Amino acid sequence: MSIWVLCEGAGDHYRSSTYELLSEARKLAGSDTTALVVGDDAAFKDKLAGLAGKVVVLAGDNLSPYSAESWIGAIAPVLEEETPALVLCGEGQRTRDILPALAARLDVAAITNAIGLRQEGDAFIVHRPVQGGKAYADYSVSGSCLVAFRPNSFLPDAPADLATTEEERAVSAPASRVELVDSVVEEGKRVDITEAQVVACGGRGMKNAENLKLLDELGTMLGGTYGVTRAIVDAGWEGADHSIQVGKSGKTISPALYFGCGISGIIHHTMGMDTSKVIVAVNTDPEAPIFEYADYGIVGDALQVLPAIIEEIKQLKASA
Amino acid sequence: MKVAVLAKEVPDLEAAVKVVDGGGALDIEKRRVLNFFDEIAVEAALKLKEGNDAEVYAVSAGAGWGIEALRRALAMGVPTAYLIDDPALENSDSLTVARALAAFVGEEGFDLIIGGRQATDDEAGLVGPMVAQVLDIPYVVGVVSLEAEEGAVVVARETEAGRETLRVPLPALVTAEKGLVEPRMPAVTGVMKAMKAQIDRKTLADLGVEADEALPVSGYSPPPKRGGVKMISGEPVEQAKELVRLLKEEAKAL
Repeated sequence: MSIWVLCEGAGDHYRSSTYELLSEARKLAGSDTTALVVGDDAAFKDKLAGLAGKVVVLAGDNLSPYSAESWIGAIAPVLEEETPALVLCGEGQRTRDILPALAARLDVAAITNAIGLRQEGDAFIVHRPVQGGKAYADYSVSGSCLVAFRPNSFLPDAPADLATTEEERAVSAPASRVELVDSVVEEGKRVDITEAQVVACGGRGMKNAENLKLLDELGTMLGGTYGVTRAIVDAGWEGADHSIQVGKSGKTISPALYFGCGISGIIHHTMGMDTSKVIVAVNTDPEAPIFEYADYGIVGDALQVLPAIIEEIKQLKASA
Repeated sequence: MKVAVLAKEVPDLEAAVKVVDGGGALDIEKRRVLNFFDEIAVEAALKLKEGNDAEVYAVSAGAGWGIEALRRALAMGVPTAYLIDDPALENSDSLTVARALAAFVGEEGFDLIIGGRQATDDEAGLVGPMVAQVLDIPYVVGVVSLEAEEGAVVVARETEAGRETLRVPLPALVTAEKGLVEPRMPAVTGVMKAMKAQIDRKTLADLGVEADEALPVSGYSPPPKRGGVKMISGEPVEQAKELVRLLKEEAKAL
């Protein structure tokens, strides 16, 4: 039984979800773990040494820059031939481009938005929230399946001691019919909110856009970033972009530590953060639903409590 | 230009959901609506109808559901709606739904298909791109702008690094992200018209599609219980001190 991981590059390294998924694959499949690397993402394939039994690199025309159609054209024949039991991908835009159409082309099962994986006899059990997080389902997978997991679903703690072989395959990928007209890279883009270990989120209780810098400071000082609710994105606050909106119509996050500041916690928001590991809520209203999700709650004004938290963490860091 | 909108009916997010039969099933309160992102797709199609004289129709697939979603689309101003209604869709996989929708739009004709980025109930995002794959047409997921050109659409989407603009030759499929357009509230006259509208139905057999079963669910469970919230009282400075201590020593999160 083999498990493949579709590795995903970001800049000059792989996304943290790639390492998580490779670790989880090693736990289940040992040396039968294969890292699949496509196009330019092979530039830093050395980072995969020890993490998989085999690294398969797909090389050929049309793979750079990335396009879903060309990548699917390259990947599909390889998976058809190798028929791994599972192909694991990290949730994100590229996976949402590729996975559904790839599954349709291969006529195999597909699950996105998963958060857990275990083996039960001959089947894999894939765990995921359904109905906006109001319930969870265990899917029983016994054939081939492509599965996308939310970042931060697994600890990348399996030993990385496999003897890794490498295989380069020349593939003929079709040119994409979708033409890239223009690509704007935003300078100083922050830590990817879906992969961040710490996210400080704010809602209407932050009062105005100026105060979002408190969230930015808190998130950044802990190596993470900040997020916002739909309400303040729709209100057009500067610094509250849709790209960092958390919830139904924005991003889904699962950080190790989440702060909800001035956020009431309606389901439209909570379905985007309720799998966070540790949840801190700060709200003036003791009845706010966010406290039902929280591990630690503070009834108070985020604008007074946040600066105090930031100061306290500064002191903690200074003393460390 | 002919535009097909894929309209999924989903439980309202506020609907109560209970795990029943000892984890064997979900009991979901019957409050059903047009999927949030599909409503944006409907609006985008109506913009093309008004600005580019596009011919627009909506199609939904369900096992005894879908009418609510289609009535909403009709009320917003979509002239025609169709329902693929088949009991086999109760427990079919996403690819079956995609094949059915693809077969339908293939018969009815289209230049552009607009769906939503994902549905709010399962948040899977599978059916849209699967329809494109079945039809072998180009597609773009999660667009935040959409302009029609001669024989193509130009779309933009947010990427992890910024934003990109893409030109997609027609026929094509795009899925709508929040921010593409703001869906209109239906006018009362629209609602009246939608109530009276004739919605033609098709079965999977009509479309020559065989249903494949969805992956079996071995069990449902309620959301994991958290340990309960620990409320921290005092003045802000004291609260912050205690919170940071707990995060460090108890939660080991710092």
